[in-house]
Amino acid sequence: MNDLVETFARNAERAGFVVHRAERPSLPDAGVSRAAYGVAATGSVVLAASPDEPRSRHLLPEVHMSLLREDAIVPDLASLFAVLGGRLPSALAIVTGPSRSADIEQRLVVGVHGPREVHVVLERA
Amino acid sequence: MSFPVLDEHRLAATDAATLRLMNGRTSAWARLDDVEELRERAHSIRMQAIDDLEGHLARFVAALEAAGGTAHVCSTAEEARATVTRICTDAAAKLAAKSKSMLSEEIELNGALEAAGIEVVETDLGEYILQLAGEHPVHIIAPAIEKTAADVAVLLSAVEGEPVEPELEALAQAARKQLRRVFERADVGITGANFAVCDTGSICLVTNEGNGGLVTALPRVHVALLGLERLVPTLDDLAVLIQLLAPSGTGQTLTSYTRLLTGPRRPGEDDGPEEMHVVIVDNGRTGLRRGRYKEMLACIRCGACLNVCPVYRKSGGSAYSPVYSGPMGAVLVPLLRGLEREPGLPHASSLCGACTAACPVKIPLHELLLDLRRDLVGEGIASRRERLAFAIWSMLWSRPILYRLSTAIARAGRPFGALAGPGRTWAQGRTLPALARRRFRDSR
Repeated sequence: MNDLVETFARNAERAGFVVHRAERPSLPDAGVSRAAYGVAATGSVVLAASPDEPRSRHLLPEVHMSLLREDAIVPDLASLFAVLGGRLPSALAIVTGPSRSADIEQRLVVGVHGPREVHVVLERA
Repeated sequence: MSFPVLDEHRLAATDAATLRLMNGRTSAWARLDDVEELRERAHSIRMQAIDDLEGHLARFVAALEAAGGTAHVCSTAEEARATVTRICTDAAAKLAAKSKSMLSEEIELNGALEAAGIEVVETDLGEYILQLAGEHPVHIIAPAIEKTAADVAVLLSAVEGEPVEPELEALAQAARKQLRRVFERADVGITGANFAVCDTGSICLVTNEGNGGLVTALPRVHVALLGLERLVPTLDDLAVLIQLLAPSGTGQTLTSYTRLLTGPRRPGEDDGPEEMHVVIVDNGRTGLRRGRYKEMLACIRCGACLNVCPVYRKSGGSAYSPVYSGPMGAVLVPLLRGLEREPGLPHASSLCGACTAACPVKIPLHELLLDLRRDLVGEGIASRRERLAFAIWSMLWSRPILYRLSTAIARAGRPFGALAGPGRTWAQGRTLPALARRRFRDSR
């Protein structure tokens, strides 16, 4: 359990997230989403569309924050699909870092269409 | 067939980009637990679907429709163009926002929509740049590989009506602003589909910029173009393929956004399309299923074979026929369009096998290229001149006297310098080794 959280945090940072433990930062302009799951192996947050979570919420603002309960972290993609058990929302986004592009001269730039800055707040179960 | 030679700048850009992507793949593969096992599994998942496309298609269509989506199965490019155009005109669409789809390039969709009075805007940064330049992608995952920041600045400045600095940040911000207006105004969002899952009726869309998310969230209609062969049986199978796709394409573990879309917006949801259409395109694919060429249908369009190919790296995507380039294009395009229409492509390879070694789904690309060459001869498609040249060569060199005579003649002069016609062009750019003064056979 703890291992999963640590693995998630390490890989999420590698993917470009700013990871916060327990404390929620003050980011007044950020869009805030409740993540349905986290994937430890890839450091991804999983956002499921619903009446409370519009599809575009994680894409429109320049800064985005996902709230993730530590007990919603699964080991890898296969286990994510296993817990979903075939019941999929209309849109499921597996988000792994900020919006980025290397289309100009193969040089990396962030914040092309979606957020340039992404945060994930880990919440104790 | 002519091979346009790239200018030095474009050649250097292609070389640097492909090298970077190739190194990205090898380090990403090294980070995977057991890449060989994953490749084997990926190959068998793809072949399982290809060996029963009808069954998988029926399951996908049933699941998609249960989720509220609409399936359209089109056997030709023409039918697919007409179908997408009809969906757009039925929705009284004026503007369509597109995320990257090579299949839309294959069926030449944009022209058809524009002819019907629908404005089409590409929203992938690379594709947007190319659309402004009036050019086509030269690499399946890095479409604008040959453009510099200065080139892009000129194109974006023209839209902006004022100069945009040729700096990466400024360019990305200008494009973001220009395209945000498109996402917000568009009536229809058009995407490709990396995979479709038969069990759940979902399409899987993989992007880094987030444009795939916006075109499937804001416009009121979503049209996804799906190659008939991109079906995977289950979500478990999908997990295997997406674990390989980004590492093989860009060297990432996963792209920034991996999206599973299962039907239109549901009751109570604030965004997402009211209609979701999946246009499933055959366009020659079922014809490939017989015999050894069916392996080509396993392709997941990662671009790994382009990045390692010495021919692609030294000639660039525009040297190939549209739309697909590199080794996968050299195999796929003749199979889709007919070998007689593309007799040059199977020769655009040194058969070194680097493509086969780089393919995440283990398609024996260089063997298929060789098979295509065999078919060119077997089916009598190879040109008369080519067949005549090889017939003469074979006649000469299978007779000892004539063989000795030919090498004696070669030794007497500079044989390659004296080549005529196309041979002269070939010899011009090359420094050819001098022949030994004494033949090996004379030195006993």
